Amino acid sequence: MFSTLIAGLRALFHRDRRNADIHHELDSFLQASIDDKIRHGMTRDQALRAARAEIGSAESVRHKVWSAGWESTAESLWHDVRFALRQLRKTPGFTATAVLTLTLGIGANAAIFTLVNAVLMRNLPVADPASLVRLGNTDDCCVNSGGYPDNDAYSLFSTNTWQQLRKNLPELQDLAAVESGFSWRPVTVRRDGTQDTARSSMGEFVSGNYFRTLGLRPPAGRLLADSDDNAGAPMVAVISYESWQHNYSADPSVIGSTFWVNTKPVTIIGVAPQGFYGDRLINTPPDYYLPIQTMPTLCGVNHVSKPRVQWLYMIARLRPGAAVAPLQTKINSLFRQIVASDPNYSGDKGQAALARAHIVLTPAGGGIQSLQNQYKSNLHTLLWISGLVLLIACANIANLLLVRGMGRKTEMSLRTAIGAARSRIVRQLLTESIVLSTLSGIAGLIVAWLGTRALVAMAFPGDQNVPIHATPSWPVLLFACSLCLVTGILFGVAPAWIAAHAQPADALRTGSRTTATKASLLQRSLVVLQAALSLVLLIGAGLFAQSLNKLQGTNLRLDARNRYIVHINPQAAGYLPSRLGPLYQAFEDRFHAIPGVVHIGIASYTPMEDNNSSSDFRVEGRNNLGFSASYLRVSPDYFDSVGTRILSGRAFTQQDTPASPMVAIVNQTFVHDLFPRGTHPIGKLIGDDNPKHPLEFQIVGVVDDTTYTAVQWKDHRMAFFPLLQRPASDKSPIDTDTDLYAGAIVLQTAHPMPDIESIARQTLAGINPNLAVVKFQTFDEQIADRFSEDRLVARLTTLFGALALLLATIGLYGVTAYTVARQTSEIGIRMALGAQRLRVVAMVLRGAIIQTALGLAIGIPTAYFCAHYIEAQLYEIKGVNPAILFVAIATLAVAAVLAGFIPARRAASIDPSRALRIE
Amino acid sequence: MPEKPGDLVQGTLEMLVLKTLALEPMHGYGIALRLEQISRGVFRINPGSLLPALSRLERAGRIKAEWRASENNRRARYYQLTHRGRKALEDELAQWDRQIAAINRILEA
Repeated sequence: MFSTLIAGLRALFHRDRRNADIHHELDSFLQASIDDKIRHGMTRDQALRAARAEIGSAESVRHKVWSAGWESTAESLWHDVRFALRQLRKTPGFTATAVLTLTLGIGANAAIFTLVNAVLMRNLPVADPASLVRLGNTDDCCVNSGGYPDNDAYSLFSTNTWQQLRKNLPELQDLAAVESGFSWRPVTVRRDGTQDTARSSMGEFVSGNYFRTLGLRPPAGRLLADSDDNAGAPMVAVISYESWQHNYSADPSVIGSTFWVNTKPVTIIGVAPQGFYGDRLINTPPDYYLPIQTMPTLCGVNHVSKPRVQWLYMIARLRPGAAVAPLQTKINSLFRQIVASDPNYSGDKGQAALARAHIVLTPAGGGIQSLQNQYKSNLHTLLWISGLVLLIACANIANLLLVRGMGRKTEMSLRTAIGAARSRIVRQLLTESIVLSTLSGIAGLIVAWLGTRALVAMAFPGDQNVPIHATPSWPVLLFACSLCLVTGILFGVAPAWIAAHAQPADALRTGSRTTATKASLLQRSLVVLQAALSLVLLIGAGLFAQSLNKLQGTNLRLDARNRYIVHINPQAAGYLPSRLGPLYQAFEDRFHAIPGVVHIGIASYTPMEDNNSSSDFRVEGRNNLGFSASYLRVSPDYFDSVGTRILSGRAFTQQDTPASPMVAIVNQTFVHDLFPRGTHPIGKLIGDDNPKHPLEFQIVGVVDDTTYTAVQWKDHRMAFFPLLQRPASDKSPIDTDTDLYAGAIVLQTAHPMPDIESIARQTLAGINPNLAVVKFQTFDEQIADRFSEDRLVARLTTLFGALALLLATIGLYGVTAYTVARQTSEIGIRMALGAQRLRVVAMVLRGAIIQTALGLAIGIPTAYFCAHYIEAQLYEIKGVNPAILFVAIATLAVAAVLAGFIPARRAASIDPSRALRIE
Repeated sequence: MPEKPGDLVQGTLEMLVLKTLALEPMHGYGIALRLEQISRGVFRINPGSLLPALSRLERAGRIKAEWRASENNRRARYYQLTHRGRKALEDELAQWDRQIAAINRILEA
């Protein structure tokens, strides 16, 4: 074996000597044969001729000897590759088109698949992700008490439920609990003994067994233990590796040092593993992991010790070999026992709900699937679309190669005639296909890499810490490349095989004067398919673009010009609710003092942001019924600052203090839904949902329906209250009322102020160094963020639609141009016989137009059919509207006419006398 | 027309070459001549088959070659059986016998 290799290599490197050897040996063979024949009585001449005839072509013998070793295969492969490259260089138009087609097809697919892979299929970087199970299947974020979830399937749990389940489920190795809504509760962190300013960071409250459940080991220090999660234990935290690296340059002395978290001292005990981004994929992964028992001290909310407050997600590690089905049953019956005493389940209705209450176990190897669920349908649509583009690309390649193969029929016949083995010809063509695919594969890799980066940037604009990496996954690239390779081989070799099997003499004889050389049925079908698919994609792109337009064009009933939103967290800065009055006064005074600031509004949250509080309200006249509405607390200037119009009554004033009569402002929808038509709402009373309480708030104003949370929340009932008024019926101590914390300051300036961000930071730090800016955005940026997913999908579908159109146009052009080239002499004869140029153009165009029309005939019903499936992803669009259909058809028609016209003009400009002389 | 090498039983050429060389070292034409004579003209081996076979055998280390003066004082490439070639010949002969016996049994059955 080894000696064969060595001999082969030697032969390769000394091929001249080897060739000379073979030559000499043949020569000596010939001489010996001649000598022998002379000995047997032939003349010298006769002997020479006879011997030559016996031996045959010396070159063929040399070739046969040479091919006896493996090195000849390697060598001819190299020859084939070089020849293929030469052939490809000789037809730059074909090569560029094929490579571009494949590159875009492979690149676009690989990019989309990579994103899908990273978002939907990636496992958490933890030990044995397959044995992790989540108790629950929905988002159901963030805090809940009372009520029943959709389908009675629970995903959000109280601390008590978690502790009981943990105690009574020996099938589980561990059961961890995590705060469901940590991303809405950033913490403010400052390292002790440094000049660092306070930094708003992400902190997730987790149970003490969290890291053990996930099977993680710390790169430095230690991770949380059960003992850290006892009430009264010294407060500790684990810092994420990324935060440790970026904010503290991996300083080892961070471990053991004190950090001020929401102005309370916390000791950092260790660093979480590198690449660990928490228990869910999220664009703001946690910087700190804190025990859930520290939450009352740090955040001033006591969810952890209230048995009715549901606020935790649960993740379990199964024991090896534990079966899920019996576990599921056991968990359900345990859960019902635990919650049976809850007043929520009293009465007949409650008992029925309790019997239906259950927990769905879902695999948690990929973490809690909230981002995944949000993006799933869109990503799947994109997958389908990019798959269609790949299909079109493959059809294009097939077409190009078919055309090329047919065009080379004569060449192949000639080669066969002068002695090339058929297998050799087929191998040569195979090599060409592989070379083509490889070139495109490399280019596709680059496109995929750039594309994925662009995709991630588009999907999560402005987030630096997204734990999604843009490295295209190898299985995806391999899949896309091999698909193209198979297409190339199938459609490149098939015509070659047929050509190679034709009797060379026949093939060489024909081919000059025939009319039956139009593009084959297969070619034309491919073009029809392409036209149909690209129409579908164009219509899809149109639908998504229209949906985005509709979303963005919605009248939000606000004014975003020269408005800036500063998100803050007074609780994290150490303020108790009883001390908020002077703080809010300070905000107004200090910001008003800044030249250029016109209005300053303070509010729980602002329009068009990912936040909402809602509650049930009763209104005068319908005293016993609760109606849900979203509510927020706002300052007197707030409505002006966001540009909400007051429709009747008044806005809040500085006179609406905690001591003055309690007042409320509602929006138009609230009035419309809850009061009989024609009622004058000013002066009416509203109150909370407890029938024992009096209706305590008097409506003093009605405002326009400014959009909160999302455009999809149309005509949503809203109620507004002064920042610090509390109903008299609320007897709880003021310092437990976290509702009083404002979350945002809205600044309206007289003109654009680019430096307002740093001014705002300085102003806040001037009031209190712990007042960190949680997020700073212009109002426009905040609104644009709410459309980022729709924008991503609209842009990508448009991109893919354009790509499909381009590919289909190239395909149509290819087939038409080929037909024209084959018909050159026919056209020449027609023109010599008096055919008008215009008629020639029409003749050529007719083919292109018929194919496009057939494509439309297939594409339009398909598009209608597909539109049905994406309706749920569109905003207020039902079915395909005629305008989009018209634009798509027109675009395709223009592309088709262009693709047909260029070859048609070439056909019409054929000089008859020249054309007749061809071949 | 001379017999085509394809008329040889598949894969036997190398065995026949080894057998021929087992007697004495020979050059290519000598081998072809010897095979033709002994087979009484049934097998005519042309260089297009013989030389690749020799090349394969040499590559496999079953024969070795050297340039020598021939009987007519011309330079010729003489092939000689190696130890490994002798062993290979024995193996192939044994194999051949078994196959022939089996084929005969089938034909006579």
